Amino acid sequence: MGLKTLLKSGVILDLYLYKNNRGAFISMLLWPYLMLSLMLGMGILFGSPEAFRENIGLQVDPIIYFVASTLITMASLDVMWGVGGNVLFHRWIGTLPYILLSPNKTSLTLVFTYIPRYLLTAFIQIAEFAPLILIIEGPIQGLYKIGILIIAVTVGMLPLLGFSALFASLLLTIKEETNVLSWLNPIILLFSGAFYPAYLLPHWARLISQLLPSTYTIELARTAALIGAPKLANITFLIGILMGIALVYNMLAYLVVDIGEKKAMKAGAI
Amino acid sequence: MSHEAAITVRNLKKNYTTYLRKGLFKREKKIVEALKGISFEVYRGEVFGLLGPNGAGKTTTVKILSTLLLPDSGEAKILGFDVVKEAAKVRKVIGVSLTVEKGFFWKLTGRENLTYFGMLYGIDGEPLKRRVEEVLDMVGLKNLGVADKLYEEYSLGMKARLSIARALITNPEVLILDEPTLGLDPPSARTLRELLVKIAHEERKTVLVTTHNMFEAEIVCDRIAIINEGRIIALDIVEKLKESVADNISLEIFALLPANISVKTVISAIQNKTGLLSDAFAENGGFRIKVVIPPKESDEATSKILRLLHEYKCSVRRVEVKEPTLEDVFIQLTGRKGF
Repeated sequence: MGLKTLLKSGVILDLYLYKNNRGAFISMLLWPYLMLSLMLGMGILFGSPEAFRENIGLQVDPIIYFVASTLITMASLDVMWGVGGNVLFHRWIGTLPYILLSPNKTSLTLVFTYIPRYLLTAFIQIAEFAPLILIIEGPIQGLYKIGILIIAVTVGMLPLLGFSALFASLLLTIKEETNVLSWLNPIILLFSGAFYPAYLLPHWARLISQLLPSTYTIELARTAALIGAPKLANITFLIGILMGIALVYNMLAYLVVDIGEKKAMKAGAI
Repeated sequence: MSHEAAITVRNLKKNYTTYLRKGLFKREKKIVEALKGISFEVYRGEVFGLLGPNGAGKTTTVKILSTLLLPDSGEAKILGFDVVKEAAKVRKVIGVSLTVEKGFFWKLTGRENLTYFGMLYGIDGEPLKRRVEEVLDMVGLKNLGVADKLYEEYSLGMKARLSIARALITNPEVLILDEPTLGLDPPSARTLRELLVKIAHEERKTVLVTTHNMFEAEIVCDRIAIINEGRIIALDIVEKLKESVADNISLEIFALLPANISVKTVISAIQNKTGLLSDAFAENGGFRIKVVIPPKESDEATSKILRLLHEYKCSVRRVEVKEPTLEDVFIQLTGRKGF
């Protein structure tokens, strides 16, 4: 069976879900601004833009910084929930055996049916923030940064897909019914430098951070947000790292999900 | 119906490992033997019933045949494809329904759910559209006018029909249905049984259906395998199975019990006093007590049972002697008093 049909099944599932569940669509639209408002609100309440610049050590607009952080954090969370948590979701609603009965490999089914939803959500959220970025940065600088953000959420997604598929395999094997991801996700984001720059973390934590694909996705978005005009070499370097990690994690996921599925099928976990 | 095997199962064994928690940090490993080496064949075009109580191994068998569970040993083939070594090929020729009360997206309509699963199973474009309409029609959801209703608004009967529709979406040669009428009200269960027979005969599908409902097995299945504690204890056409206990008499007594006496007490007393196994079903405010009695002992056993009921101050309203049913076959073969 073609991967095109698999991708298409993901597209129609999302279209149907949003069509029949407008509340979910509206909350998806509101969510990025709610998160941004919360972070900026907290910042203004306990500090000021000047204090922020002083702490960061760069002349950067806090709004742009948090827009980039919000987009990347949400995209990273989305991938981890969308692929990793998908196993849980399907188990809860009872569709898991029928998903596994698809003639495709489970890792491909989990990843390919999710990609359309991710792209749709990520691009809608970038589009939502685009006017704000253009107003603050001006048209040329703004478009440049929007471009880098688009690259960050698309290229940054690639290693995260494999990384999250590994979680899916774990959830499949251990017949996990509880929400491991709900406490694991913030830890991963913390190590990835989503809340504090990764270079501020202790040495041992930095070692973990270097293994996490989300670290490089966040770094790419930060480069765009913090530096007025980041050098192409910097961006290319980060994209290269992301592509390399993507290859490793996705190949690993391709093998491990298969092993996890076999283990789950042996134990009767499906 | 030919005698060419569509499903072949040979000496299939499966153990589950479970852990019993003993305190905060200790747990005890327990091995549960779900299948103890079952063998059977399902012929092309027949409706084959796997009949047994809860925990007999029906769902384990179904899951192995559906490629969702790996056996410990033995062999199972569907249309010649090994369920372990050629799982992908098996998936292409089977349609599966595991539960009727869930397994779909709640915020999608019946039609949308079928379209999604159709695509997931590799059908697309016009053939998919056509097939979705066909199966909706086949299972009667179109006639009921609910194909475009959200799944969350479906009744259990409609959900069961949709589950069969999904199993049919790829037009598979073999259908594997695990308790398709479980939890349905009698009219819905009846409609679904009729549907199963229609699909099997008109669409020429091989159907393996599990059930613990003997009445259902009797009217739906061409052949039945009775499975108990992981073993197949009988396999034949219904008539032959009944013949195996034809010498016995099935005694049915309808009685009202006093408030302080439980039906369990009465059943145990019958067994202690006569050595015969019996079963009881609630009926019109009282109980229908059913006992299978060897013919030689019939007079003596009947009077013993009636005396016992009198001792317990049960009010006997009706006593009937009946032809053996599949239920009697089950009681005789397993020594179990119903499911």
